Amino acid sequence: MKILICIKQVPDMESRFKLNAAGTWYSDQDLAWRMNEYDEFAVEQAVQLREQLGEAEVVVLSVGPDRVKEAMKKALAMGADRGIHIQDDASFEKDPFQIASAIAAYAGDQNFDVIFTGMQSQDRSSAQVGVLLAGMLGLPAVTTIVGFECDGSRVTVRRELEGGLKSVVKLSLPALLTCQLGLNTPRYPTLPNIMKSKKKELISIPVSDLLKVDALTATTLARFPEKRGAGLILEGDIGDLTEQLVKILKEKTAVLN
Amino acid sequence: MEFTREIYWNIGSGAGTLVPMYLLLLVALSLLVWGGWQRIKVYRLGKALQRTDDLPQRLVAAISQVVSQRRVMRVAGVGTAHGLFFWGFFLLFIGTCLIVLQADVTDPLFGVKFLQGRFYLFFSLVLDIAGAVAIIMLAGLFVRRYLIKPEGLETRREDAVIHLLLMVILLSGFVIEGARMAVTELGTDLSLWSPVGLLFAKSLAGMGEESQRALHSWLWWGHLLLALGFIALLPFSKLRHVLTTCVNYIFIDHGPKGGLVTLDLEDEATESFGAATLAELSWKDIFDGDACTLCKRCQDRCPAYATEKPLSPMKMINQLQQLAFNTPDASLTETVGKDEIWSCTTCRACQEICPAAIEHVSKFVDLRRNLVLMEGEFPGEEVTTAVDNTEVNGNPLGMAFAGRADWTEGLGVSSLADDPDVDLLYFVGCYASFDKRNIKIARSFVTLCQAAGLKVGILGKEEKCCGEPVRKLGNEYLYQSLAVENIERIKSYGVKQIVTTCPHCFNTLGKDYTDLGLDIPVDHYTVFLDRLFGQGALQLESSQPFACTYHDSCYLGRYNDIYDAPRRLLERAGGGVTEMTKSYAESFCCGAGGGRILAEENLGTRISETRAKMAAETCAPLLVSSCPFCLTMFEDGVKGAGFDESLTPRDITEILAERLSSSRSQRSE
Amino acid sequence: MKALLIAESRQGKLLPGSYETLAFAKQMGAEAVMFLVGSESGLPQFDGRLYLADATAAGEYNPEEHLRLLLEVVSKESPELIVFSHSSYGWDLAPRVALALNASQISEVIDCQDGSMVVPVCNAKLQRLVKAQSALTVVTLQSGAFTPADEPTGTPTMVKLVTETAAKIEFVGYEEAEAGGVDLSKAEVIVSAGRGIGKPENLAMVEDLAKALDGEYGASRPVVDSGWAEHNRQVGSTGQTVAPKLYVACGISGAIQHLTGMKKSEFVVAINTDRDAPIGEVADVLIVADLKQFLPALTTRLKG
Repeated sequence: MKILICIKQVPDMESRFKLNAAGTWYSDQDLAWRMNEYDEFAVEQAVQLREQLGEAEVVVLSVGPDRVKEAMKKALAMGADRGIHIQDDASFEKDPFQIASAIAAYAGDQNFDVIFTGMQSQDRSSAQVGVLLAGMLGLPAVTTIVGFECDGSRVTVRRELEGGLKSVVKLSLPALLTCQLGLNTPRYPTLPNIMKSKKKELISIPVSDLLKVDALTATTLARFPEKRGAGLILEGDIGDLTEQLVKILKEKTAVLN
Repeated sequence: MEFTREIYWNIGSGAGTLVPMYLLLLVALSLLVWGGWQRIKVYRLGKALQRTDDLPQRLVAAISQVVSQRRVMRVAGVGTAHGLFFWGFFLLFIGTCLIVLQADVTDPLFGVKFLQGRFYLFFSLVLDIAGAVAIIMLAGLFVRRYLIKPEGLETRREDAVIHLLLMVILLSGFVIEGARMAVTELGTDLSLWSPVGLLFAKSLAGMGEESQRALHSWLWWGHLLLALGFIALLPFSKLRHVLTTCVNYIFIDHGPKGGLVTLDLEDEATESFGAATLAELSWKDIFDGDACTLCKRCQDRCPAYATEKPLSPMKMINQLQQLAFNTPDASLTETVGKDEIWSCTTCRACQEICPAAIEHVSKFVDLRRNLVLMEGEFPGEEVTTAVDNTEVNGNPLGMAFAGRADWTEGLGVSSLADDPDVDLLYFVGCYASFDKRNIKIARSFVTLCQAAGLKVGILGKEEKCCGEPVRKLGNEYLYQSLAVENIERIKSYGVKQIVTTCPHCFNTLGKDYTDLGLDIPVDHYTVFLDRLFGQGALQLESSQPFACTYHDSCYLGRYNDIYDAPRRLLERAGGGVTEMTKSYAESFCCGAGGGRILAEENLGTRISETRAKMAAETCAPLLVSSCPFCLTMFEDGVKGAGFDESLTPRDITEILAERLSSSRSQRSE
Repeated sequence: MKALLIAESRQGKLLPGSYETLAFAKQMGAEAVMFLVGSESGLPQFDGRLYLADATAAGEYNPEEHLRLLLEVVSKESPELIVFSHSSYGWDLAPRVALALNASQISEVIDCQDGSMVVPVCNAKLQRLVKAQSALTVVTLQSGAFTPADEPTGTPTMVKLVTETAAKIEFVGYEEAEAGGVDLSKAEVIVSAGRGIGKPENLAMVEDLAKALDGEYGASRPVVDSGWAEHNRQVGSTGQTVAPKLYVACGISGAIQHLTGMKKSEFVVAINTDRDAPIGEVADVLIVADLKQFLPALTTRLKG
């Protein structure tokens, strides 16, 4: 069985963001980078599937500048066999359609049986690349899975809906699945696996070799959200704050009589 | 009367005595050697470890420690009893050796007899007193073990056997002496020099000489058999500590206190890290099990054991011993238990007090290294998150690294990247950089340095966690990655002096980092400020007296023997310290060490609250420490234990900074 | 401009996000046509054409069939905009539609300004303004971003669609969330605990405040995931969406998934040590204090 995991390297969400010079995205200075949280579930599920089957080839793929290879190495340390890095220093300027196209151009003739992706990225959060990629490859796709079982050719997945509701869906491979929090607990790479991963194959392909389509959207600008005007910020002595809040609640709401 | 006695009186000094005697001795020694060899084979199942450097010095030091019983006597009462018992028994042993020396060597070969005259009187008296003291001490220890039964003391059948054996040997020795004296010395001046023997002789005086001689003869052989039995029994019972504990003194770790083995992670041949099975421990780890006498001093001082966690350092050492000799292929993790392994705070109270020089802490770290590096396991998800945060942002709190210098606002402190020309590098540490309560400490410290006219530099966003918590949790790989990066940054700026406000950073940068190439002097702020005061570079404007109690942090006290500098600082500030019962080297951990500051405390009761209670008992209004982990734990512990109205946790830097001139102390806020 | 609005229903019931698409169309000044795979018992109330496919035939989850039906409608109506809710249905289906039509897709729209869609990024710390560069645009709307001003009225003109069976993906069924307990959506006052409470024990002070205010306590996802609170207490996009009179967010940073669950609260008080926390975006009052000190103080004050 051949398994593909598509991952993205994103900044740690605790970072304090600044705008880049063009004002269209965040500046990548002084940021801590990590694998997209949702993609960690994808990597873990792929490795678990391989452990279940006993044998499978697990390929991890990512698009971006050279630094994304660090995230790919983590995937390799978690158990992926080899990596495909689509080199693009300006990947942040590509829209989901372009990203999916580039990946599809690589994956098109690779005959993957299962493709795992995160359900969305923590930075752009458009939640499109996975489903687009499936469509481009002619594969069925199911999003937001929090449960996964495979018997070799058919998979049963649990989708997380709203309000705690879940649905159970079955489909045949080959297929693409996007992963949600709760699917599994990503393993912490063991040291022997970290050492092994340093020797695993990680090929870089320039994005120009694969990307042949134009963007369908353009970012006009990026900005910081406006603070909601009515927002009052109070600080100081606990006793004073308590009194102030009680006064406000009496004035502005009907909850205190 | 001549001041001597006939050796082998009533027994015979011919072949009829000597042959069986030496044959039995040979048997006993053979059993000793054979038994010892069986045990040595098990020690050798462990990995190699270099502990024989400077062997002559090691031997001398070991002998001195054994003879002085220094470690044993550190605990009064039972320690004194054992010390006295040891000296009694040891003197008796030397006495016996002297007799053998004369009777079987110097007399027959050279005709020399030295057990006569004044020396013999001295010899006689000393041995009598030695024997009496030994008996009294042994009786006392018996009462302790079987009647008082201190909590946590494990008593096994072999203890009863040993008590019986030793008592019978000692008592029979006196009965033999008494029987001999009843026949040969009653009524003489000589007899006064064996006062205890005289008592026995008087009580046997009623028996006829024939009975006395029979008693003497039977008991002499019986005593010989028991004594040789004692020798033969050594390898097979707790009595082996007579040899193993003494030998353990030879192999003490001469490296820095609390040092851990810095694993060679470059070696591609190494397939396994940490210890999962016996073969992955060192021979010393296995030998430690044999040196243990289950004295429970470690257990008595273990903060985890005191708060009802399943961990007991004594039990762990004993479990490893049992495993080594019974089921050497068993899993260490399963034998010791994961809850036990993760509960250790690496406070070193166990190792500090252990009279057998056993090394407990490194074993826990080895077990953790296996869990983390080979299994990717941590004690809880919150720990995995903290470790992940440390990897991504260089601090376990998950704060954006770019803001690591935000705490310096208004203080006029720059990063070395902007201005490397500084008097000292202040290695701030994660908590003082990001935690609101501890930022006050960082600001106070800088204010103090500036008051002394020093220019302080920090690494700022280039500073990463020193790696100590993750290292103690077993993540040697992440620790080394962080350390190497920190060292590279520090060296690139040509730093000449490093000061920290965190004992964990201090211990790590000062000791652990030397294995990885850092050799710049590192001071903890208490020593640094103490020095500044001493040089007159720093003065306080006010020093209104105040009452407080001082908590000795594990990584400052036991790990680095820094006890006085902090107290001097408090004194200068006007502080009157009421010591807690457990202070200095006996200080009780706050619970945050061993990486546990990153973990939730789910088992037993709270260590921090237990310590807060101890502080509250002093009735001092301030609980002062000089460690960000202790301060953080006490903020929670004091509240949790319900003392927040009467007890306030503080750090020495804050107290000092407040007593600088008012304009300066404002900036430290 | 014409907008094809994709309404959602589940087990015969129309979901409220459907009306949010109408509100969006209104804001865009677009003519609204609706598409729904649902049932005649749960129809949206609006005046306009509604293309209805029967859910029992087309399937509760059958993206290929839903796509086929939708494309049929698109070819009939030729809209410029296709509007989904950014829901487990919307984000699953929208990209398939966009790909099939060579349309652009802009996800999780919260506003439209000068012809650009405004979308939150990086946990709502930033926003992007995105313009489509295609003739046809697919958008998904953030839950709660476009609230209808009035009560829904009207009767749709129905056009029935014929479904084909043979689904590649087999829908097995729904799994309810853990039964029992609290319906936070009915509570008038909710006091919620976030990761900032630090320890599970501190949930008690949140509960105490909730009781003192005669309300219910809730929790953010991290608190529920850590096992400190039951799932039925979770407020957020994967928990419950609430609209109480008063929402007190304790130690909640304001991750977007949580905000979408409580944005509609009438009055929001946030207690957080970080004055820049995103919860500040929706808070009427942000109290910068340690909740471990403030909550007990407030509770005592309210009881006294």
